[in-house]
Amino acid sequence: MSKRPFLIPFLVPAILVAVIFLAALAEILQYSFREFIPGSLDVGGFTLDNFARIYRPVYFKAVVNTFVLSLATAFFTLILSYPIAFALVRTKVEWVRTLLILLSITPLFTGEIVRTYAWMLVLGTNGFLNTMLLDIGIISEPVTFMYTRAGVVIALVQFAMPVMIIILATAISHINTDYEKAAANLGARPWTVITRVVIPLTMPGIISGFIVIFAWTMSAFATPQLIGGGKVLMISNAIYLQGFSALNFPFAATLSVIALISAFASLALMKLIANRLERQTAIH
Amino acid sequence: MWRQTLFWVIVSCILFYMTIPAIVVVMTSFNPGEILSFPPNGFSLRWYEKALTYPDFRIAFRTGLIVALISSTLALVIGTSFAFLVVRYVFPGKNLLEGILSSPLIIPHFTTGFGFLLLGAHLNLNQTLTIIIMTHVVLVLPFVARAVYVSLLNIDPNFERSAANLGASPFMVLSRITVPLIIPGMAGGWLVAAILSLTEFSASLYVTASRTQTLPVAMYNYIREYTDPTVAAVSALLIIATMLILMLANHFLGLRKILAIDSH
Amino acid sequence: MNISNSGHSVDIVEVTKTFANVTAVHKVSLNIRKGEFMTLLGPSGCGKTTLLNMVAGFETQTSGAIQIDGKDISDVPPYMRETGMVFQSYALFPHMNVFDNIAFGLRMRKLPAREIKAEVERALDMMKLSGMEGRRVRQLSGGQQQRIALARAIVIRPKVLLLDEPLSALDKNLRLQMQVELKELHQKTGLTTIFVTHDQGEALSLSDRVVVMSRGEVQQVSAPIELYTQPANGFVASFIGEINALPKARCQKSGQDFRFEVCPEISLNGRQPARQELKDGQMVHIFIRPEHIEIAGPRHNGANIVKGNVAAHIYQGTHTQTRVNVPGIGLVELRTKGAAAIDQAPLGSEIALSVPLDEAVILPA
Repeated sequence: MSKRPFLIPFLVPAILVAVIFLAALAEILQYSFREFIPGSLDVGGFTLDNFARIYRPVYFKAVVNTFVLSLATAFFTLILSYPIAFALVRTKVEWVRTLLILLSITPLFTGEIVRTYAWMLVLGTNGFLNTMLLDIGIISEPVTFMYTRAGVVIALVQFAMPVMIIILATAISHINTDYEKAAANLGARPWTVITRVVIPLTMPGIISGFIVIFAWTMSAFATPQLIGGGKVLMISNAIYLQGFSALNFPFAATLSVIALISAFASLALMKLIANRLERQTAIH
Repeated sequence: MWRQTLFWVIVSCILFYMTIPAIVVVMTSFNPGEILSFPPNGFSLRWYEKALTYPDFRIAFRTGLIVALISSTLALVIGTSFAFLVVRYVFPGKNLLEGILSSPLIIPHFTTGFGFLLLGAHLNLNQTLTIIIMTHVVLVLPFVARAVYVSLLNIDPNFERSAANLGASPFMVLSRITVPLIIPGMAGGWLVAAILSLTEFSASLYVTASRTQTLPVAMYNYIREYTDPTVAAVSALLIIATMLILMLANHFLGLRKILAIDSH
Repeated sequence: MNISNSGHSVDIVEVTKTFANVTAVHKVSLNIRKGEFMTLLGPSGCGKTTLLNMVAGFETQTSGAIQIDGKDISDVPPYMRETGMVFQSYALFPHMNVFDNIAFGLRMRKLPAREIKAEVERALDMMKLSGMEGRRVRQLSGGQQQRIALARAIVIRPKVLLLDEPLSALDKNLRLQMQVELKELHQKTGLTTIFVTHDQGEALSLSDRVVVMSRGEVQQVSAPIELYTQPANGFVASFIGEINALPKARCQKSGQDFRFEVCPEISLNGRQPARQELKDGQMVHIFIRPEHIEIAGPRHNGANIVKGNVAAHIYQGTHTQTRVNVPGIGLVELRTKGAAAIDQAPLGSEIALSVPLDEAVILPA
């Protein structure tokens, strides 16, 4: 009698999916070393030319842009999500809690396109925001939000918030409130309790939330594509441009490899920094 | 007291920022003219009518629904059995397999989509439903597996031992004890997977063709060609549908549980 | 319930269980007789639960054999072992009501529905739970859950009943009541029972025999009274009840008289202990229970009298536990009835103690 009766039947489908997925990634790797034949979808023989091309400033800039935008998005997402997560966990009023959950989680499930389109309506030259600001008289001419980095970040932060809120709320809900009571009992003011007790205790959540959002933003496509409108180029847009406008699949594959490498490299870097931070703030 | 008030004012402002796009979309969708204007200069359902009758959207919605149902169900079966293995068994290569199957969370969707585009070309499944479903299974699998994994960790292993002790064979233990106890996790995981598949865009853009495009891809193509608020009507419908589904899920399954936010 | 003829014996033969590099159970051999109530007693981590899990088939022994009625069951999977187990957490299935929980094992045995109904009702009746069939498990009190777990385990007429600390989740009063009920149940059913506990009170009051385990090894197997009065070694002596362990002493033998030199100033006189053959000059450990030490009055003279200062009184209602610091020995505890000792021997005062060796446990060092 086997001790693990379900091992084989349960393992086979999972391995099948893993193999298919690895095959798809292997295709990218394979294409990245192939020669591009202009005007044809067929590819030529082995070459390293694609990798030589990525040193051009436009692609280098796309990589840097992706990194900077991801960093900024993760930072602002963290700042805006923390109060919501805190309110969500600590409110004692049931309907407030339900409302907070619904409002903060819904954007997660509406999809990239709906959210991006909505922000186009808000940020456009004749969009909601400009109309409102003009009406109130704060500005006299429409502000350009579209096709700017700021516009892209404003939209990206809103998408990223649900995930950050879930991660932070989980971390906050795991704090024993006795710690806060103890701090208050010892004379700490509310703000001090937050900065000296709550935030340090949720540091692991803060760090993992930051990393997750960073990775998530690196793979954003629709938002920089539509709100950036070609003016804000991230790696994802460069790949799309190569793949679908130039039909240069080998070079698009090369850029995808670069995207993968930079995603994993930045994650590794952030983990390294996070480990340091965590060691400093560790609870002894 | 003023601190409390200040806190809730800040929270409200942030919530306003989070919800303003949805509000603007709904407002726009009722706009009578083609040119967007704020505040709207009237009320009209013409964009809803157009959205619901526009053939591309109808076909794309049907395709997307088929893809979402099949891929999330496949992911449910594969993800549940894999989560069971991870929690209950030790076997060589476990960590590696776990790493590969959860990596779509980190690997950009457009990369995954591009990979499946190339794979599809190689296998002569170019832009077919098969390759789209394969892509979506890979993308949503981690979410189902995660939800089931958490449910499995939360059940006392003594339930299973006790059932075996009372004479239940491994298959009986699985079907009478384990599965019924993780049903909420499976339902939540399936729901999340289905919604994510239905709204997935970046990868789908690569693996679909105009015949097989899903709704988000059809919307993207529409936005690039036209500026009228038809897409606003579709978006408004999607936002409202999502909210309704989430409210139902919250009522029956508890969102806090699905999302694993538990307070003490 | 007519299970009284269902006595089966369980033999554990040289069983060893090793996890990674840790030996949880080391060469344990036990013979549990038909219908016997056998208790595995020991501190946590002593291997008693591992041993129980091996009998149930949840763990496989690294070496050795487990037999029921002389037949090796090592290769029989848990679901075919016919053991009925009650878990510490009860493990009542939360998605089933009381009836379905108790019926589960019978359903797995594919009994006809009518028979299942009759059996479940009889079991409920026996556990004084009639009318609870439709209740959800979560609606029940700890004591009720406990009884349902028991009913679920015995309704399948197991060859052996396995109880894994079933009383530890109950509060004190309920625990005492359930002890009585467990004893009655055992008498009624005659089921061979293996009971695991870390509570010596439960072990002494329920069992026919007790196995004391420590660090994966059996220390002693005997009836409860013998365990208390004749512990086989120092571990058992100190683990069962309270006991004073005196410093190592040298035995001086002259004819039938024994003299134990505890320290240069203190010597105690006694007789040859019942089970031990002591030689002249041998080193021994002397253990003596607090209730056997008395405060010496004027009647006592010289022999086996030690002097010390009162360090603490712990009043406990029916008795008082007094701690006396005796030079050369250390802290000695004695137990006297009521509160008299508190007045009789104020804190810090010097008192004389009578330490009779008649009831002491004397073991070779």
